Amino acid sequence: MLPSILPPLLLAACLLAGWEIYCRLADVAPLILPAPSGVLQALVLNRADIGAHALSTIAVAALGFSLSVGFAFLVSIMLHFLPWAKKGLMPLFVASQTIPLIALAPLMILWFGFGLLPKVLLVILVTFFPMLLSLLSGYRQTPAAFADLLASMGAGRLSIFRRAVLPSARPSFFAGLRISATYAIVATIFAEYAGARRGLGIYILAAKNNFHADLVLAAVVVSAALTLALLGAIRLLDRLTAPGSKARHA
Amino acid sequence: MLDLRGLSIGGADGAMVVRDLSLSLPASGITALIGPSGCGKSSVLKWLAGILPKDLDAEGQLMLDGQASARPSPAISYQPQGDGLFPWLTVAQNAALGLQVRGLSRAEALSRVAPLFRSFGLKGTESQFPDQLSGGMRQRAAFLRTVVQDSRYILLDEPFSALDAVTRLRMQDWLVARLADRPRGVLLVTHDLHEATRLADRILVMTGSPGRIVAEIPVPGPPTQRSEAALAPLRDDLKSLLLENAP
Repeated sequence: MLPSILPPLLLAACLLAGWEIYCRLADVAPLILPAPSGVLQALVLNRADIGAHALSTIAVAALGFSLSVGFAFLVSIMLHFLPWAKKGLMPLFVASQTIPLIALAPLMILWFGFGLLPKVLLVILVTFFPMLLSLLSGYRQTPAAFADLLASMGAGRLSIFRRAVLPSARPSFFAGLRISATYAIVATIFAEYAGARRGLGIYILAAKNNFHADLVLAAVVVSAALTLALLGAIRLLDRLTAPGSKARHA
Repeated sequence: MLDLRGLSIGGADGAMVVRDLSLSLPASGITALIGPSGCGKSSVLKWLAGILPKDLDAEGQLMLDGQASARPSPAISYQPQGDGLFPWLTVAQNAALGLQVRGLSRAEALSRVAPLFRSFGLKGTESQFPDQLSGGMRQRAAFLRTVVQDSRYILLDEPFSALDAVTRLRMQDWLVARLADRPRGVLLVTHDLHEATRLADRILVMTGSPGRIVAEIPVPGPPTQRSEAALAPLRDDLKSLLLENAP
């Protein structure tokens, strides 16, 4: 465990040290580029305020992401069993990914107000497609021999799906989960940026408007930490639910 | 008795894979089906198992004890090339899979397979996963899954082809012993003439383009009492037959 996280930690430490030295030696104005120590100081001093906004962001991201995963799962099953629906719907799903968020986010706020709904919808819009593609790709990777074996035993399509297709898609499911998770926090912040009462997005906007670059960066640090925590949780879930994880680690 | 009558299989490109093939399988003993690669041996097995790919056209009749039968039939179990063990299931769950598909609850299926682990040389592996087993052990687990379904006929598609020479010999002896305990009618597809002459009571020789049976050769004596010296001339005859009929 330690050796695998050592290289990124060392690299991050080197980058931060370089950034700190540059700010001090070049005497850069903190308004333009605060040093990491300044960002850390701003984060500590404003931890209560940033924490409250972060909680709001976490709630929106968690709700949107969970709904997105559930929705993608249901749609993937439908598309797996109904090839004609797949042919009809996939172009629409692809087209949905070409809509610029920068144009859609303000419209969502206009249509649905400053509440939870527009932000959750934006998170779903951003995270649904990679999740759906990962699941469909996982279904396709089911070894034909497994499906054939079950069919020879008299299993129907549903039974084959439950016993062979779904377990075969497990690695793709977690790959999709990781990709979507990285988008979830960013999409939430973007939605909050477009219009919200609470959340890291609106906090960043307010800090920027008040020329507090240190607070903007402090919120960015928290956003990155949230994404890393979410990825860590998914990794843990993957390990805990892996077939034989108990038997192998007993 | 299993009777396959007039099986013809057409490829996706319109070419015939198998033409008018008929064979019978007695309720006990091993019948080997040998032939060159691509002659349609596996396609015959897949048709009998009811899993021939949909892009192939097939026509033929399956009779079980004189009655026409649908496919897949609960009277027939199929073991694919390799072992086909599901990596996410334990060995016990893999062994119980066929019973569960055929309607038994998970607990019932597991209790049905549990007493068989010792006689199959798998005692202690019940809660292990397939990747924790050796090649030979995996084949035993796959065969347990096939046998426990209580089908009267078993289709084996090159079951030992992925094993090393020593393990293969051990598994061949082991298969003969298991079938002595639980007699079944076995149709064994193999490329290996040694395997066919060691295990089978009779050998069906197929040739390709399109696939058909050109000879049915009985193997004298029970498998446990055959000497290498007695089998050598038979293998020479089989080799000559295959070469004569090579496309």
